[in-house]
Amino acid sequence: MKAIVSVKDAVKNYTLGNVVVPALRGVTLDVTEGDFIAIAGPSGSGKTTLLNLIGCVDTPTSGTVEVEGKDTRRLSERQLTTLRLHTIGFIFQSFNLVSVLSVFQNVELPLLLQRKLSAADRAQRVTALLERVGLRDHASHRPSELSGGQRQRVAIARALVTRPGIVLADEPTANLDSVTGQHILDLMKELNRTERTTFIFSTHDQRVMGYANAIIRLADGKLLEPGASPQPAAQPGRVPA
Amino acid sequence: MRAWLSTLGVVAQIAFRNLFASRLKTFIVGGIIFFGALLVVAGNSLLDSLDSSMSRSVIGSVAGHIQVYNAKSKDPLEVMGRMMMGDPDLAQLDEFSRVRETLLKVPNVKSVVPMGISGALVTSGNTIDLALEKLRKAVNDRRKAKDDGESARLDRKIADEKGHVRQIVLVLQGDLKNAKTMLDARAIDKDDVEAVTRAASEAFWTDFDKDPFAALEFLENRIANQAADADLLFLNYVGTDPQAFAKSFDRMKIVEGTMIPPGKRGFLFAKHVYEEQLKLKAARRLDQIKEGIEARGETIAKNLELQRLVRENTSQVREILLQLDATKTADFRAKLQRELGSKEADVAKLLATFFQTDDQNLRARHEFFYRELAPSLEMYRVRVGDVLTIKAFTRSGYVQSVNVPVYGTFQFQGLEKSTLAGALNLMDLVSFRELYGFLSGEKLAEIKQLQAAAGARDVKRENAEAELFGTKPAGGAGDEPRRIEATATPGVGPAMRDLGESVGGKLQRDEARSRVFPAGEVETGVVLNAAVILHDPKKIDATIKAIETQSANDGIPLKAISWQKAAGIIGQFIMLARLVLYIAILIIFMIALVIINNALVMATLERVREIGTLRAIGAQRRFILAMLVIESLVVGLIFGGLGAGIGALVVTLVGKVGIPATSDIWFFFFSGPRLHPFIGTTNVIAAFIIVMLVSAFSSFYPAWLAMRVTPRQAMQEDE
Repeated sequence: MKAIVSVKDAVKNYTLGNVVVPALRGVTLDVTEGDFIAIAGPSGSGKTTLLNLIGCVDTPTSGTVEVEGKDTRRLSERQLTTLRLHTIGFIFQSFNLVSVLSVFQNVELPLLLQRKLSAADRAQRVTALLERVGLRDHASHRPSELSGGQRQRVAIARALVTRPGIVLADEPTANLDSVTGQHILDLMKELNRTERTTFIFSTHDQRVMGYANAIIRLADGKLLEPGASPQPAAQPGRVPA
Repeated sequence: MRAWLSTLGVVAQIAFRNLFASRLKTFIVGGIIFFGALLVVAGNSLLDSLDSSMSRSVIGSVAGHIQVYNAKSKDPLEVMGRMMMGDPDLAQLDEFSRVRETLLKVPNVKSVVPMGISGALVTSGNTIDLALEKLRKAVNDRRKAKDDGESARLDRKIADEKGHVRQIVLVLQGDLKNAKTMLDARAIDKDDVEAVTRAASEAFWTDFDKDPFAALEFLENRIANQAADADLLFLNYVGTDPQAFAKSFDRMKIVEGTMIPPGKRGFLFAKHVYEEQLKLKAARRLDQIKEGIEARGETIAKNLELQRLVRENTSQVREILLQLDATKTADFRAKLQRELGSKEADVAKLLATFFQTDDQNLRARHEFFYRELAPSLEMYRVRVGDVLTIKAFTRSGYVQSVNVPVYGTFQFQGLEKSTLAGALNLMDLVSFRELYGFLSGEKLAEIKQLQAAAGARDVKRENAEAELFGTKPAGGAGDEPRRIEATATPGVGPAMRDLGESVGGKLQRDEARSRVFPAGEVETGVVLNAAVILHDPKKIDATIKAIETQSANDGIPLKAISWQKAAGIIGQFIMLARLVLYIAILIIFMIALVIINNALVMATLERVREIGTLRAIGAQRRFILAMLVIESLVVGLIFGGLGAGIGALVVTLVGKVGIPATSDIWFFFFSGPRLHPFIGTTNVIAAFIIVMLVSAFSSFYPAWLAMRVTPRQAMQEDE
């Protein structure tokens, strides 16, 4: 199986004033096409940072992140944006829909940015996806008229509309009740199965992890050995060498 | 291309929807832009219209497009807006023909009008002096009467004139009685009271015929001085070549009388001055009240100014009384009693009642006054055909006086009501030069003769000192500069006006009228300034430069200024108003800039997550930039366009109706009774550009902020 994402010894440090805060301390992993991977770990363990690196939103301080064979460190900001547009779909914890656009327009937005499809093709694809997530009748609604679960489904449709190789979801169920969360995960899982879309999502919810076919456990910016139980929290006061 | 368009479409859509979503912000920002654009269009259009109408007034009445004067002058030239101020210190231009020759070499110059502007005091006539003069003449004539018929006629005339003088004395007696009630007894001269009592007594008039000349002397010395009603008038005048003036300023129209004939001395009153200063005051006030009611729609009941005029008319009937002899008094009494339905015998009281006008009776009274009373009254202190003695201080302080016949009155079409355009009277250039202290050719010849007789010789101005104190005094005290100040015109006595039928008056009038100055006098003599009329008025600045270059080449020190500068403070009015407008616009748009900027920064901060999301899902920075700039441009376009459109509409509507000139100053600025503002396309375009620039500028900083939003910020949760 081909690795769609390849992370090698990725280190990410953030600078807060004069203090260097390590977020990732050398993570190595491969994600293969069709994976449904959970990144697990407590708050501050580096889940979002790892997602950001994989999602080309950020580049590593050292080490490499390759997405579809491209080394993100070698790409310009603009190229990274283009890479995100064509390769990666995003699902956010707070849905992040454009409030002034309708459901249909929110889903269509990435296609418009891509500028590849005609209006008719775009409409067809958006409608099909909305059908898929069960919101066809809500196409003209505004996000504010929808429930949390519905909004997240719109977000999923938006993430999938460009047919990206990878969909990244940052705590996709954190703002949803458990039943709705389950439905969302069911939907993601189904799409993963039928469309062979790779899903990588972060979570600290044990039940959510149950959906994944692989779990990457992070603690204190490092991968835990497979099978090891995640550390409750990073040890306070530890400064990296 | 189509995809690009659809991206732009979505950008615009997001922008539009965002604007709609935050309506309040949009309306506040839009409101400011709306108001700014409206102000730019309406304000500028109004000022442009005002500018063009005022330029017509200034250019058309006296200034011309350009004024030239001697570059060595100490003060700048001002042809308008001078009232009682002294003359600016201008150096003379020695030979007008050379000045004109030089100016006409400049291709854009159409014509040149010689000028000089100054002012002088003139005393208007005294009624009792005139009455006594008439009485004296009648007595004189009676003495020389050849037959009984003539004697009888002159006896009646003497009786009439005596009646008039007695009437005046009665008025004086009344005045003294009033004075006693109002003033302290010590303030009243006993001798005056005595004199009046004597002149009012029956005995004085019975004795009059015994020694009429002694009686006249008494009246002239003791009574006339108490009955002074003469006014001191200050007249501003422009000395010019009347023909050239009328030709170049073609709005000038003769109202009464005729034009000053070529080569003659003469004076034309500005109609406005004639009405305002020389008309019988009661009549003038009646006119003003009528005008207030009819032209401005005011009422005596409500308007304080009109009430004041009515009050003055009722209390100041003396001016009319002094003009009435016995016959006229009886006539006025009968007419007024009939008109007012009154049995009152005192004409003063009848007149006071008559002038107690209100909104109902004013029109009838006005009509009655002009139909019944005016024909018996001297309506103007100076009549067309009279000779005016003008006394002026020359530049070096001599008092110079000149007699000029009054040929008529004139006004500028469209500027009839304007005090400013009607403030300058017209005088021939030769008389002007004399009053200003320059020598006319005529006088120069006379002096030459005297110099020759005295053995004097010419000394150049610059050598005068050396000649006088240097090597050796050449000709004694006779060494005078070539141009000296003229002394009083010999042989012509100062007389205010044509003294009726008096021989002296007639002589004086005929003399003044028949004097013709030599041909070429106007051409070769001195002028202070000259108005230049152009073929193409748009090229004023270029022509000014051309004139100054040409005059430098020809060795004439000419300074050329535009009509705006020549009009003094008035010319700067528009510039000042424009400055105020621009500052207001600047302030409004600065405020707009700050407010819009703030609003957009706030909006950007509120939308960090949205912008981050857009960036995360693949929107480039320029997409974000376009989105925000389009947002503010849309606001600018819609509200700015609306403001400019409504501004244009308002100006057009106002232009159709016209803004009425409410006072004479506005008459001048509007160049007529109404200003019809017009829309200048440049103003609309300017408004559009300003609004767009402000909108674009105000979105730069927030757009820059927005572009720095990273996709990571979309992921951040408020944990």
